[in-house]
Amino acid sequence: MVIATELQNPIKRKYPKKHNHYGFRDFFQFDPDKGTIIDWNEGQNILTTEDFIVGLVEGLQEEVGDASAATMYTIGCEWGQKDAFFFEKWFEKEFDRNMRQTNLLFLLETWWWPFTAQGWGRWEVDMGDRKQGFMFVNIFDSAVARTLGDVGKPVCYLYAGLFAGFFTELVKKQLSCIEIQCYSMGETYCKFLLGGQDRIDAAAFWMNEGATARDIEKRLRTGDMLR
Amino acid sequence: MLSQIERLSREVDGRYASDAELTFAIDYVRSFNLRVQTYQKLQEIESMLVQQTYSKMRTLDPTVFDSAGTDISAKWKRDTLRVLRYVAIAVLMDDADTFRERLLLWFQTIMRAFSAQRSCNLTYQVMQDVIKQSLTAPQANLVCPLLELSRRTLGTIA
Repeated sequence: MVIATELQNPIKRKYPKKHNHYGFRDFFQFDPDKGTIIDWNEGQNILTTEDFIVGLVEGLQEEVGDASAATMYTIGCEWGQKDAFFFEKWFEKEFDRNMRQTNLLFLLETWWWPFTAQGWGRWEVDMGDRKQGFMFVNIFDSAVARTLGDVGKPVCYLYAGLFAGFFTELVKKQLSCIEIQCYSMGETYCKFLLGGQDRIDAAAFWMNEGATARDIEKRLRTGDMLR
Repeated sequence: MLSQIERLSREVDGRYASDAELTFAIDYVRSFNLRVQTYQKLQEIESMLVQQTYSKMRTLDPTVFDSAGTDISAKWKRDTLRVLRYVAIAVLMDDADTFRERLLLWFQTIMRAFSAQRSCNLTYQVMQDVIKQSLTAPQANLVCPLLELSRRTLGTIA
């Protein structure tokens, strides 16, 4: 998680318009005296171990039982919504350009890069079905799934919430997200479906019936919906 | 070089490095003069290299700098200069890892966002030919592998 601060990276002070600043030493500024790690966008970062993620997931499970998935999703949503505003500010400052007058894929890559640098994994956005009202996001090396290992079910609710929250703010339209394939189900990467609530509900239903990500993609593309 | 030194300092924790582990440092010292010369040469002929690459690319593919009716020549020149300057420092420091980490991995996603892989593939292929004509063979042998790395990273369609 990131907390905004006023401190500034010396490389950024010298080259404020440098865009390729995601190398470990460029992006993070370590201050051993203060014990802080400040990133390029002046957010304070905290290093956590995999134990922290296990503690978060299992602790929540113990506290609220089956509602833990929804809780993680809601945390992700709020995070994504707040991050959309945070992103808008730093993007416009760095690129001297309105976020809405920018190539969409470039904008999205730029949004995700700090997450990549912070260890949330690489991503790939598939917007081929955007006109039909849904899209897919693939995450390679999800921090949550990599930590929990093969548990036979999707576990990246935090990511699903993050995408739902961010994209809802970006397009100013209520969107939801569901993970339809997860590294923790023995797959090689995680796949998320983003769209309106009706499509997400349909995908959740098909998943419960045993559908794979590929089945869900096919059914969505043929316009198959719940009756 | 810096990446290798850092790796070595972690690996030799509490002991002396073996001769084999120090080979890269000796090789670096031996190649240092050539690296400095190559770096200075790249600095000196930078605009000529970019201009020649540009002209050759135009001849090979007249549409390569046209993106949906917009002339992207100026943008291409800025991007190519940036890669070339990172290549130059990677030659000097003998550090392809840092080149990848600080520029290429990020730039790959940006080039894909703009569907510029075809232009990147041609750019760093043609630039290798231009380098071979403009630099001595030992100098070109230091530069071309980094341009080839750029071509493979930026010019491959996912």
